[in-house]
Amino acid sequence: MNMDKKFEQPVLKLEDVAITYKVRNGEIDAVQNVSFEIFKGESHGIVGESGCGKSTVAWAIVNFLGANGYVKSGSIKFQGQELVNKSDEELRRLRGDQIAMVYQDPMQALNPSLRLGDQMKEVLTVHRGMSESEAEDRCVDMLSRVYMPDPENVIKRFPHQISGGQQQRVVIAMALLNNPALLIMDEPTTALDVTVEAAVLDLIAELRRDFDTAIMYISHNLGVVARVCTQVGVMYAGEMVERAPVRDLYADPKHPYTQGLLRCVPKLGGDKASSQLYPIRGRVPPPNNRPSGCVYGPRCDYARQRCLDERPEVRQMPDGTSVRCHFAEEIDPAAWIPPEDIKLTPATEDVTKNEPILIIKDLKKYYDVAGSSLKDILGLGEKRKVKAVENASFEVPRGSTLGIVGESGCGKSTLVKTIIGLENATAGQAEFNVEDVTFDVTSSLSGRDKKLIQELQMVFQNPDSTMNPSYTVGQQIGRPMERFGTVPPDQIRSEVVRLLEAMRLGENYFDRLPRQLSGGEKQRVGIARALASRPELVLCDEPVSALDVSVQAAILNLLIEIQREFGTTLLFIAHDLSVVRFFSDFVAVMYLGQVMEFGPAEEIYQLPYHPYTEALLSAVPIPDPSVTQKRIRLEGNVPSAISPPSGCRFHTRCPRRKLMPDGGKKCETELPPWREFNNGHRIFCHLPKETLESFDPVISKAAEPAAD
Amino acid sequence: MLVKDCMTRHPIMIAPETLANEAQQIMTTNRVRHLPVVGDGKRLKGLVTAKSFALKSDSISSLNVWEISRRLANLRVKDVMVKKIDILTASANMTVERAAVMLNEARQSALVVLENPDIVVGILTEVDIMNALQLMLGLPTEGIRVTIRMPNRKGEFQKINDFLNDKDWCVMGIGTYPSPRVEGDFYDMVLKLPDTTIEEVREGLGKIEDHQIIDIRDVV
Repeated sequence: MNMDKKFEQPVLKLEDVAITYKVRNGEIDAVQNVSFEIFKGESHGIVGESGCGKSTVAWAIVNFLGANGYVKSGSIKFQGQELVNKSDEELRRLRGDQIAMVYQDPMQALNPSLRLGDQMKEVLTVHRGMSESEAEDRCVDMLSRVYMPDPENVIKRFPHQISGGQQQRVVIAMALLNNPALLIMDEPTTALDVTVEAAVLDLIAELRRDFDTAIMYISHNLGVVARVCTQVGVMYAGEMVERAPVRDLYADPKHPYTQGLLRCVPKLGGDKASSQLYPIRGRVPPPNNRPSGCVYGPRCDYARQRCLDERPEVRQMPDGTSVRCHFAEEIDPAAWIPPEDIKLTPATEDVTKNEPILIIKDLKKYYDVAGSSLKDILGLGEKRKVKAVENASFEVPRGSTLGIVGESGCGKSTLVKTIIGLENATAGQAEFNVEDVTFDVTSSLSGRDKKLIQELQMVFQNPDSTMNPSYTVGQQIGRPMERFGTVPPDQIRSEVVRLLEAMRLGENYFDRLPRQLSGGEKQRVGIARALASRPELVLCDEPVSALDVSVQAAILNLLIEIQREFGTTLLFIAHDLSVVRFFSDFVAVMYLGQVMEFGPAEEIYQLPYHPYTEALLSAVPIPDPSVTQKRIRLEGNVPSAISPPSGCRFHTRCPRRKLMPDGGKKCETELPPWREFNNGHRIFCHLPKETLESFDPVISKAAEPAAD
Repeated sequence: MLVKDCMTRHPIMIAPETLANEAQQIMTTNRVRHLPVVGDGKRLKGLVTAKSFALKSDSISSLNVWEISRRLANLRVKDVMVKKIDILTASANMTVERAAVMLNEARQSALVVLENPDIVVGILTEVDIMNALQLMLGLPTEGIRVTIRMPNRKGEFQKINDFLNDKDWCVMGIGTYPSPRVEGDFYDMVLKLPDTTIEEVREGLGKIEDHQIIDIRDVV
């Protein structure tokens, strides 16, 4: 019901909260002076990069800070009742009855050894003394409320028997069983694929309306927050630097940090030129060494002497935004000029017309699956195979970038691993520099020519697991130079330093160990190591998905610069479609091992689309609330790759299938043809060209409100 | 409109063991007049209202001033609350008019809304019912509020409907009731019409046979 807020009391109100952890030599102030309130039926987003104290605030509310953490000052009021210093018993009652939490990893909240129904029922039988059968009915109701298919059967299953998106639905249903007044969600969709994420976000928005629950939504993803939240608070280094209604925050960010963050994320709404990324220089100060003035001062482009001397207080702006900056009124983000050192020079030559360096023809990769039946063990059963990559064919011109996108399990990584030789191809060809690299199907990577290994290098998603923790940075980067002999031994050090400088790391990193580096720095070392042997083709497997947006922007810009300088060809795997658009010259969209669409990057994001690409684009969270996206949600799960659907692999979930004559019978039986469009843009679909071209665009920018 | 559409969801609730003092403070700071008392996972145990804190003279008349203050300081919610048996309760699917009748008949100011069977899901106070009335008559939006008196017989509403259809006008709120203080069998209808003017309404609705505009105003 629409009532004036001034008569309403917030469900949750934090005032000047400071949270401190006791450590061996003193105390660390993790969070300082955070104030905000959440009203009934409102969802309040908290965004910020890792380590800025988002989750700490959430934990303080439910007193999960651990043995050494405590709320040092300030007050946390839930429905007018003070939570700080409340007895454990009372807090437990509140947590059970009125406050619920949903975490990033649903498996953490679910007991793997209990059936889903049993753990859900427990909430009701133990907490409310409800009878078993009544509790079961209620659980089934709630599961159907969160659109769980076949809820009667799901409650009999174990957590591992349902998919990640479904697990998260179970956790959300469980949180809602008690009809809480406050729901705290800590990155609830971060571990999910975009299409699943989109469905879960829709669900959250719907539940907020129906149950009138106040939601505190923690996320690092500006796009997700734009989609589900009504209010947003931006946190930086333990402080809330800006708080505003969602539209205002994105349209008119007041704090320089918020402005910087928004410049770091590629946007799908605008044209490609506007998705230029500008990383924020410097790095987040550690909590025990924060500057005495403004925490953002050392990284701020507008910092003056006052910012370094005096800590700004939160100020209310005329439009209701609260911001922690001395000069917020004077700063105009539109007048911002990127500093020379982070600006990316536009490409001078068109690399897309170069001769191809990599030609993939009908590449297949099947894995054998060990069956567990007696027949299988005796070797009499029919051999089953996971068809991880099916008939992939494309060409990559020298010096260009091919982005490969798709949901998890679609075969992106397998494709790349097959090219680099970590996996043997089952059939087909991969010609690199006119040389077939799949010729030695029986031998492994060690059987490859050293020259070939040198020319193909890889950057991995998780730099930690690919670095030897006891080797210094210098040794790690120098190793490939030594091994391949690309640099004379006496020049290795200077060459490593040169590479480090190209990565903006500097010589002082030479003797550091991996544990002394931040995540972004480790990834830079990973890239430097891949480039050390001067390869012609670098395969990047999600190189930025584990990084914060500002670091991500820096790494992406760095990769582009390196590519222009060394003329390296890049194969870039990502699940984030906006990153791929910004970064790539060509894009391949994969689904269940099959390339569904291939073409120049700009063409992929414009009409015509493959129905799957259309669904992906509609699911991507865009950090701009003024952009409207067509709502297309895929139903069901990705089918198993052991027995992929016949005909078109996408037919079981295709929302456009009904456009085919007789309901798409053909899609079930026949492999679709490649439909050719401009500039080598190809779509693997039965739908005729004219139909594909007649779709409406997925992303459209809402008309600007007329100026007064 | 049903109770679930206009009740206050997630009302502030307290435990029976809470100090009466604290309950009073919660009521003042949050500006609420009723606090459902719950235990065992939101099961209704009682209700605290402003009246609960009134001192009953017979219970303290025999005490001296020190004993009174000690007694007051140790008073718990369970000692002062209205017991469950005396509380008016409703289900979320009850109609709002039925709930209004219940409140009226019992001369109470709040209904606790329960589901399966005694879990508190909301509270419905007089304020909520007034809000509902407001919404039904289309108060939040600007428009012309017109009251039309018509004979109580079949086909009279049809006349208005036909007219609205012809004009392609929308209705933001509507309410009817037997005409008060008139002789004969008449009904009054309040209509809230946006995007029009008093003149236009007079011109159209005022001309309907047997109908009479008894009040018309331009209101927010």
